[in-house]
Amino acid sequence: MLYKYLLKWLFGAIAFLLILALLRFQPWQHLNSSLWGETSQTRIESLDVGFLPVTCHLTCPVTDYASRTSIDFRFDSQRYTDFPTMVESIRSGRLEATFMIVPLAMKLREQGVPVRIVYLGHRDGSTVMVRPDLNINNLQDLRGKRFAIPSKYSNQYLVIRRLMSEQGVNPEEINFVELPPPDMPGALSARAIDAYFVGEPFAARAELSGTGKILYHAKDIWPNFISCALVVHENLINRRPEVVADLVRGIAESGEWAENNREEAARIAAPYFRQDEAVVRHVLTRPPDRVSFQMLTPTDEELQRIHDIALESGILDKPVSMQALVDRSFIPEVIRPRTFNN
Amino acid sequence: MHQTGINRFQRRVLPLAVLLFVIISWYIISLFVPSNSVFPSPVDVFFGFLEEAGSGRLANDLIASLFRVTAGFFLAVFLGIPLGLWMGVQPFARAALLPTINFFRNLSPLAWIPFAILWFGIGDAPAVFLIFMAAFFPIVLATIAAVGNIPAVYFRVGSDYGMNRWEILKNITFPAIAPQVITSLRVTAGLSWLVVVAAEMIAGNDGLGFAIWDARNGLRMDLLVSGMIVIGLIGVILDRVLVQLTEIPSIRWGYER
Repeated sequence: MLYKYLLKWLFGAIAFLLILALLRFQPWQHLNSSLWGETSQTRIESLDVGFLPVTCHLTCPVTDYASRTSIDFRFDSQRYTDFPTMVESIRSGRLEATFMIVPLAMKLREQGVPVRIVYLGHRDGSTVMVRPDLNINNLQDLRGKRFAIPSKYSNQYLVIRRLMSEQGVNPEEINFVELPPPDMPGALSARAIDAYFVGEPFAARAELSGTGKILYHAKDIWPNFISCALVVHENLINRRPEVVADLVRGIAESGEWAENNREEAARIAAPYFRQDEAVVRHVLTRPPDRVSFQMLTPTDEELQRIHDIALESGILDKPVSMQALVDRSFIPEVIRPRTFNN
Repeated sequence: MHQTGINRFQRRVLPLAVLLFVIISWYIISLFVPSNSVFPSPVDVFFGFLEEAGSGRLANDLIASLFRVTAGFFLAVFLGIPLGLWMGVQPFARAALLPTINFFRNLSPLAWIPFAILWFGIGDAPAVFLIFMAAFFPIVLATIAAVGNIPAVYFRVGSDYGMNRWEILKNITFPAIAPQVITSLRVTAGLSWLVVVAAEMIAGNDGLGFAIWDARNGLRMDLLVSGMIVIGLIGVILDRVLVQLTEIPSIRWGYER
């Protein structure tokens, strides 16, 4: 009696799982494509490139979009939602190229993960937002206030530290909290924080809804500000250097194109980011120099400057050699704007 | 279960009235919040839901989450119940393994997320692993406890009838523990559903958990809330299905007090 019922349930449960598995993996699709002669040999090669839905990483989806028409190679942009997951994917060898905040790449290198910065993704493109009702005009007005940063491994944090010492504010006078960028506009409008510094479009969101006021654009406090770079694992450099060269050229040309076709770039990137196109367009066009995708070759001096503040503020425990970290050999000499054949 | 003082009509209508009240108050509150990027109205959420359902993303996410939770949960059941039975009848095994099982049972499965990504990458496997970690240990412990609750006299009667060990397991132990184990399955299935959503937020590229995480990153509060509603509804449906297990005639005795 009991067993009859339990068997019925067991079969029902197994059937349920099988149906779900069929729906999930849709084996008939593979069958279809192999029937039509599309075997794995003829499938084009591809490389996964990690990015986060921030405008600093805009050239990644643009490069993906541009490579869709390529007949022999494709760059698949993989959207991540946070840096820790990205780091774990790199450590496990499943991700070999990604956009990443520069101090985090240094930290990885310090910990013995052989990653190299081969190019930058952008210049500028971060914004300090403050509560509009507080009358804040500089960092001194933020004494005793709560200031949100995306991560203590972010360059945003390091730049603010530098700016504080320039304006004579001690590190302990401002109360820093780490907050995921998407939560920042909401936290500001709920007055849980008084200011934040983050990559776009998470600042523009507060600006557009009137719940935040721009204190500084990154370009005003650190000209040619860098937050993210293109980071590649040495395994990929050793195994497929031509792919890395292609990727760097793709990013460079996409950046060159996006610089002068901003509305079009917003239209292409918004679905990849799954964000409102109007917000992305606002970031790219108002003002146009809020973020820039040119001059993406990193110099040792500017990376050294980030490195030194990181070391000074205890983000890094020991120095990292710029020679080991940076590899500029893949950067093309002439950069033409990307052309799209579709 | 005796429900006194409530007729069938009231039992149907009262929950609907509460639901309606919640939606109307939600709508009224949303009228006073200027920006729908912070607090979406039910209308925004409804259109967000239509957008997700229309694009096919909702179906894909739903299948992904259900598949992961079913696979992980079954794995836990098929390994957990036999282990629990064995530990229940073998004092030696119980003494050796119980502290370890207890230790892992108290560890939040979400603490395993970094390792799940390192070992299994991103996608189905890490989520299945996390659900297994969430469901396996409670099932083992519940089975052990259920075996421990069987009155010793049952077994004595069994051996007086000359049953061998297999017959005792089949005719006494298993029917005796069934009600308690089924209750624990209901609880752990709910737990698995909680965990799949949290696991997909971090180690996923599709699924309902990922969908609401992604909506948050894309600053789409309307999609976020529509995802939350779908997750809650599926959870209720899963529980309704598992309640049917307790209606099996030879098990119902365990629920009638």
